[in-house]
Formats: sequence, C-alpha cells, structure tokens
Amino acid sequence: MAIPTRFATPSMAAPASSAEKDRTVQQTDMDALVSRCSAIQTGYLTDPYAEMFLDVATPRDRRYPLINRGTYIRTTAIDQIVESFLSRPFQGKKQIISLGAGSDTRFFRLAADESLRLLYHEFDFPQVTSRKIAAIQRHKELAAIISEFGQVGSPENTTSAPGFQVDTRAGSLRSPCYYIHPIDLRTLKPGVSLPAGIDSALPTLFISECCLIYLSPNEADDIFRWITSSFGQASESTSNGVGIVLYEPIGGDDSFGKVMIRNLSQRGIVLRTLQRYSTLERQRERMKVLGFNTGMGACDVNFIHDEWIDSKEKERIDRLELLDEREEWVLLAKHYCIAWGWVERHAASGPVDNLPFQNWSRFPLQRF
Amino acid sequence: MSDLDRAIEQLRQCRPIPELQVREICFKAREILIEEANVQIVDAPVTICGDIHGQFHDLMELFRVGGDCPDTNYLFMGDFVDRGFYSLESFLLLLCLKVRYPDRITLIRGNHESRQITTVYGFYDECIRKYGSANVWRYCCDVFDYLALGALVIGAGSSVQPTRLADGEDAETKVREAEDEVEIEVIGLGGVVTRQMSRRDAGMINSTNLTPSALPHLSSSGPAGALLTGVPGTGASGNSRGVANANTPTNTGGAVLCVHGGLSPLIDSVDKIRLLDRKQEVPHDGAMCDLLWSDPEEIDGWGLSPRGAGFLFGADIVKQFNHLNNLTLIARAHQLVMEGFKEMFDSSIVTVWSAPNYCYRCGNVAAILELGEDNSNAVLRSGGEEVLFNRENTRRLASTYMGGSMKRGGPGRRYRVFEAAAQDSRGMPSKKPMPYYFL
Repeated sequence: MAIPTRFATPSMAAPASSAEKDRTVQQTDMDALVSRCSAIQTGYLTDPYAEMFLDVATPRDRRYPLINRGTYIRTTAIDQIVESFLSRPFQGKKQIISLGAGSDTRFFRLAADESLRLLYHEFDFPQVTSRKIAAIQRHKELAAIISEFGQVGSPENTTSAPGFQVDTRAGSLRSPCYYIHPIDLRTLKPGVSLPAGIDSALPTLFISECCLIYLSPNEADDIFRWITSSFGQASESTSNGVGIVLYEPIGGDDSFGKVMIRNLSQRGIVLRTLQRYSTLERQRERMKVLGFNTGMGACDVNFIHDEWIDSKEKERIDRLELLDEREEWVLLAKHYCIAWGWVERHAASGPVDNLPFQNWSRFPLQRF
Repeated sequence: MSDLDRAIEQLRQCRPIPELQVREICFKAREILIEEANVQIVDAPVTICGDIHGQFHDLMELFRVGGDCPDTNYLFMGDFVDRGFYSLESFLLLLCLKVRYPDRITLIRGNHESRQITTVYGFYDECIRKYGSANVWRYCCDVFDYLALGALVIGAGSSVQPTRLADGEDAETKVREAEDEVEIEVIGLGGVVTRQMSRRDAGMINSTNLTPSALPHLSSSGPAGALLTGVPGTGASGNSRGVANANTPTNTGGAVLCVHGGLSPLIDSVDKIRLLDRKQEVPHDGAMCDLLWSDPEEIDGWGLSPRGAGFLFGADIVKQFNHLNNLTLIARAHQLVMEGFKEMFDSSIVTVWSAPNYCYRCGNVAAILELGEDNSNAVLRSGGEEVLFNRENTRRLASTYMGGSMKRGGPGRRYRVFEAAAQDSRGMPSKKPMPYYFL
C-alpha cells in the first residue's frame, strides 16, 4: 500500500546514524550563513565579517526577499536585546555566551566598540568551531580584532602577539575576552561545571539562535536548568543575574507548520522541541518554569517587524527589494519567535537601576 | 498528430520542448495575442483560475479537477511563472493550449509576467538552467508583453446547477429549499459538496462563512478528487446538465471583470483600461502597474501598498467601480488565500488562488471558480453531445446588460477546492532545492 508522502511524519525520514544527524544539524549553520551573506549583499544588514566565514566552495546564493527580510529581522531583534543588555549604565564587565554559535559574527561586530567591557564565549560542536577557527586564522582582520579587543589601556599586553591561543586539534580558541569552546551542548546539565574562562560572577546573557530546537526537549530543558543553577546561585554581592534570548520556530499545529515539519524532516532536520514549545505562551511559560522567572517575553517575527523596527528603518528595507510575498511573509514570520527571560536579584545595597536586564521589560510585547 | 499536438503531449509530461520550437510557438502566440483587446471579452461558461507559479503537477491536478482544455473553457489570471520548479513547462503548456485552442483558453497578465520580476523570482534562472542561455526566457518575456490586462466574462448565469449530494451526504450549508436557486456552491476536497447557498442567503455572505471552514486537507481524505461527485467543469464545459429544465429562471449573473491584482486610482471605468498601451514591460507605476499589483483591503478609499507597487483599495472603491461599470463581481488572484478563495466586500470581489501548498511550503489549498452559463441562452442539446454556445445571443444580452437595463445580481459561482498533487507524483529529484526556512 502506498503511503501518502504528503504528510509523512519525521519518523518516516530515511534512517540516519547519529553522526549523520549531527552533521545535518551542523550544516544548518552554513545555510544560515549563506542567508546572512545574501541579506548583507542586498543591503539589509551591515556586516563585513560574515563573508570571511564562507568557504570558497559554498555557493553564494541570493535568497528570496522574504528570507532576506527574515534574516534581517532575526538579527536586528537579537541585536536590540543584546544592546539593551550591554548599554545599561552598569559600569562593570558583562558576559555573553552564544550557544551553537556556528559562524555567527556578533562578537566581531560588537568588538568594533573598543570601550566595551565584555567577555564573549561561543559553544558549538568541535567540527564547527574548527572551521570557524580556521577562518579566523585565514583572515588577519579577524585575528587582529580578537588580539586587540580588551587590550586598550593594558600596556603589558601590547607586545604579546598573537593575543590568543588556539588548540587546532580540539577546536578551541581563547583570548582574554573571547573564547570558542568545542562543546556538545547535550552534555550540559545541572551539576556540570562551567567551562574554563566563564565568570559566573558577571551579568551574563545566553543566546540561542535556532539551536536548542534541535535538541530533545529534555536536553534543552537541562541546559536551561544548568544555566540558572550555575549563575542564579552565585553570591548576591557579585552576580547581577542571567538572561537568555532564543530565536526559533513555533506553531507546528497548523497546515503551514505541518508542511514545515515535513519539509525539514525530509532534509533530516527534526525540530525536536517544537511540539513542547509551540506557542508564545508556552515559550513564556518555559522561561518561568525553568528559572528565568524575574521577567520574560515572547513575540513572533511578524510582530517584531511591525512593532520593533522604527518606521524610517522599515521604509529603508521596503525600498531594498520588491516584496511580492506579502501573505507568505506574514505566514512564515508568524512561525518564528524571539523569546527571552531573565533572573536577577536586587542587591540589597546597590541602586535599582543597575540591574542589567531592567530595560528588557520595555520591549513592545505581543498580547496573544 | 501535428507538431503542436506533439509539443502539448510532451509538455503534459513535464518535459521541455526544443528551443527552436519554443521560438515558433511564442511567435504564433504573439500573433494571436496581438489581436486580443486589453480587456478580452469571454463568454460564460468559464472556469477562472488564479496564480499557478510554476507548480506544474498542481496545474495537472487543476485540469483533473476542472476538466481538460478544450472541454472546459479556461481563464487564467496570470502569474504562471516564478517560485515553482516548473515555470517553463507550466507556461509553455498554457501557451501551446492558447495557440491550439485560442477560443477555449484566455491568459491574462500577472505581475510576475515581467522581465524584472522573473529575474528575481526564478523563471530566468530556470530557463538558463534548462537551455543554457537566456533565449527562451527572452521569447517568453516578449509574449508577456502581449498578454491581455484583464477579461470581461459575460453571459454568466445567476445560479449554478446544484451538484447532487451523494446519499447520506450532508452539505455544511444552510437548509436549501428545493425551489431555491443555488448562488454559491463549494466543492471541497475529494469532490464533496461542502456548501450550497441560495440567493436568499446572499445577504449573509461574507468571507468568513464562505471560505470552506474546517478543511480536511490535513486529514486522511485520500487523493484529492478521488470521489469527484460533481462533473468537472459542469459550469464551464458547456455540458451543462440543467439546461433542459424549462422552469429555470432567466436571470443573468451580470458581467465579471477579471484582473490579476485589482483596481487603480487612475482607472474609473473598464473603457479606460481599453485605452492603455499594454505592449510593454510592466511599468513601475501607473494604471497598468496597478491592475497587476493592487490588493483589496479593509480600508476606506485608497492606501499605499506594502508591496512597493500598486495600491490597496477598500470596499467603497470596489462597490463604486462595479456600480459605474455594471459589474456584479471582480475576480482577481495575486494574494495567497489559505482556503483557495475568498470573497470580500459583500461578494463584490473575490480572490481565487490556484497554487496549492504554495512554494511547497505554505500548506494552503487551492481553488478554481466556475461561472455557469445563463441558462436562458444556452442551446439545448441532448446529453453527451457538445453544446454549441450561442455567442451572438450572449453578446446581445451582454450589451443590454451593460446598458444597465437588466436586473442586477451576482453570478452563480461554483468553487472547486483542491490540494497539491501527491509528492510522489512530482518525480521531484531529492537534490532539488527545498523551500527555505530560517535555520
């Protein structure tokens, strides 16, 4: 009997070994990078670094306008969240940890601001971190940014070059302010100690862009618990809290979502936490239950496009390309969300406006 | 079998035809299209279709559900190309049918039938991929310039002959009394009649109660159309089953304007469309651009379009335009509708969308709209024999109607809803690029 392939379930995809599955997930990074380069080339984003991480062999496809727009909104929304976290009057150093960072360029873009006091970490599979480190070693400009960032006003370091160490075999990189950690995220659970270089006393922001969605729901939940137990428990005098921002698909229940699940599963990509966290409400609940319970929010990308981007900027991107995909855009954009949550303690002595996540409550919120 | 018939056969199998033959067919098509008016007059019965977008296998599904050309008289409202994997085969098949049966298929221009848009949305790349040069793309674009900008359907009946319900079948509908005329009928997936609405209910019609609710397209409804109860193209094939009924009222459904996008602030009458010089690339603005790019929207008057071309227009604009031009309905395409079709503004305008699971990603169903003939003018024939349509008679009737002397009333409409062809029938190689998502 012929099985209608139209709505095949993920389990019907060709069986793949776990190594193959991992490789498929790792390749999603290249897909995102090509999309990023397309958005940059079309003028949506400014990012001189993304191109440097692209392999010579990877075709530089130009994406459809709605994909460019989605890439732009995703990047801009997380930039806004990150900026809000960094630019508080809080004078101390801050820390960002990017989960499944892949070839993301956020560190290099932030490092352009020399006055920033920031410790930046990236976690990913060793296969992915090795590729990234190779690109850094290929491009002097990238290496120079790492060497110079955070060195301003520290004369004892100015002569030591390069300002970072690389372990090529392990796929790790460390400098005073930037670390690349070869870590399989599935190993992170409560009780596992923090990787070297992470300072649990600093106000810390975790970022996951289309990353935790590929883990099993329990593995993804464990990472949340690992974060809140490692940082939330730090002594009150030093820790000023920890937050997380996610970008991932939602809404697998309607026909668009079902087709998305089917199409991706045919590529071997399974959105494993989608069912558990399929709505904005469930995303907010996830934050609350798993320890980011001081404040939380979730908006779909369509809402962010409408409410977070100022009208002048919207006019600018509207002029870049004819978007003859209006309804499709809304449909697609309603199936991706930005969700965030944080936990912080009022230090008994400190002033209230020193809280790094306080501004997060000012983002326009989606009600339903 | 003529070369043209052979080309049609080959294209029906989704196999491209040689470049030289494309050139020849495009040349012939241009000779036919150049004689057509900006607003082509089309006699009902006719089956009106929306965007196709290179989804060849779904176009085959459309023909299966709606009947084959030339048995069914078709009107395609543009956007044949771009987005899907088989723009070339889809457009060339439609074009060959146009050359072969010029009076049984009408093609009007969509905003994607443009040099600029096809270079962004895939048709150009597809031609290069399949022929190694841009020649075929150029031939096709030259044809695009000659496509009509709209069509006026005349001689549509005010009711559709209701499809008989299968025993025990219960249309999700208002209780229809036996003598009521059916103004709207919806044939859902699997050929099941899901709605029949009489004219008496017309005042209650809006897009929410007209779009087929609770579509079973994600359930195991089996292959679409397998249980076809309504005869495909009963509205449009001329094989109308009800014409022998002497008691059928003689109302006409009035004239229906078909256009890809919508209205333009620069156009207040159908005659103004007739005055445009259409034989050119779609301009970035102006009346011709608006007809291909605009969208109806719940606003008053005109609004700026977020698409960057064309305008948004509200119910007041549509109603005034229809009134001034003695239209009972505007049929247009251009916008994805998850349910396949959507009537708006008290049924003064309808969007018809004919690309199921658009871009292999959207999960929507598609629809076609059948307008039956005005029963009072049909030439009666016994069953099975092809009915010749009395064009002269219809034209006379239409001109009377256009003169405003006849009773107003929307045409009887039968929507046939269908879903995407099963994926295994596509023969889509696995290395084909999958639709993009954000990863």
